Amino acid sequence: MTDCGCDKAKAELEEYLHNELCSTDAEDIREHLAGCVDCESELHVGRVLTEAVQRACRETAPGDLRDQVLLKIRTIQATH
Amino acid sequence: MLTRERVRPPVVTPGMAWAERALAEVDSALMSNSTPDTPPAATPDPRDLFEEQAIPFLDQLYGAALRMTRNPADAQDLVQETFVKAYAAFGQFEQGTNLKAWLYRILTNTFINTYRKKQRDPYKGTISDMEDWQLGEAESATAMSSRSAEAEAIDHLPDSAVKDALQSIPEDFRLAVYFADVEGFSYQEIADIMKTPVGTVMSRLHRGRRLLRGLLTDYAADRGIRVASKTGSTKK
Repeated sequence: MTDCGCDKAKAELEEYLHNELCSTDAEDIREHLAGCVDCESELHVGRVLTEAVQRACRETAPGDLRDQVLLKIRTIQATH
Repeated sequence: MLTRERVRPPVVTPGMAWAERALAEVDSALMSNSTPDTPPAATPDPRDLFEEQAIPFLDQLYGAALRMTRNPADAQDLVQETFVKAYAAFGQFEQGTNLKAWLYRILTNTFINTYRKKQRDPYKGTISDMEDWQLGEAESATAMSSRSAEAEAIDHLPDSAVKDALQSIPEDFRLAVYFADVEGFSYQEIADIMKTPVGTVMSRLHRGRRLLRGLLTDYAADRGIRVASKTGSTKK
């Protein structure tokens, strides 16, 4: 592939993914991605990675932790 | 003019030395200059709002604490300590600003000041010492023959594999990835939470994600998780 903006796109893909680019830069990347399968697939891997981490990290605190926290706070509250 | 000085008595109970510490630890940047003109009696104690506003973040903070401490017992202690400190300092929280980021900042401070010291992290504080070739190695080990196959493999990994991979990367990378990808904090917010320049956040995030991707792809390849139908077709 010739110089078609891949370098710029690859360098900024992560920032694009995290919505950290200004709208003009994001638009440039979006335009490039629309016509570049290579960069588009790279972005896709990035998105899948983010989703995998999100999925894996979903946690629910143990019920007694909530109770303990509330108890502590209310104890402090009561001493005032 | 300032009628509201010392509305609340200073915390002096022996068992509450934490409160003073908490107040000292919470960044002054987070504190608001609350100078209400109303008399003290008419001003509700902002801490009355604490339960309602802060407790809903408990699950999220616990998730973050688990990624930090890497074990449930320490994570629970860390979350408790965080809430107690946050409660003590809640008078300085400026209503209308980002409570979630404020809580994460206290969580991260507490973790760094108390828990990190007793953790045995092989990479502890040596991230800048990690050479790019070490990081690059994880990536180049990629055995996937196409990106779509790689994406599909990562997508099908069990949560436990993703957690293990996350646990194994250096702490500062792990936290940057967690804050950005799980919590959706902006780079600036992460910079505030981790007390580091935005450029450092970017670098930690890039490197952390690169390491993670390499580990996950290797894991998938080791277990033969591949998409056979797509491995041959490289769309270029």
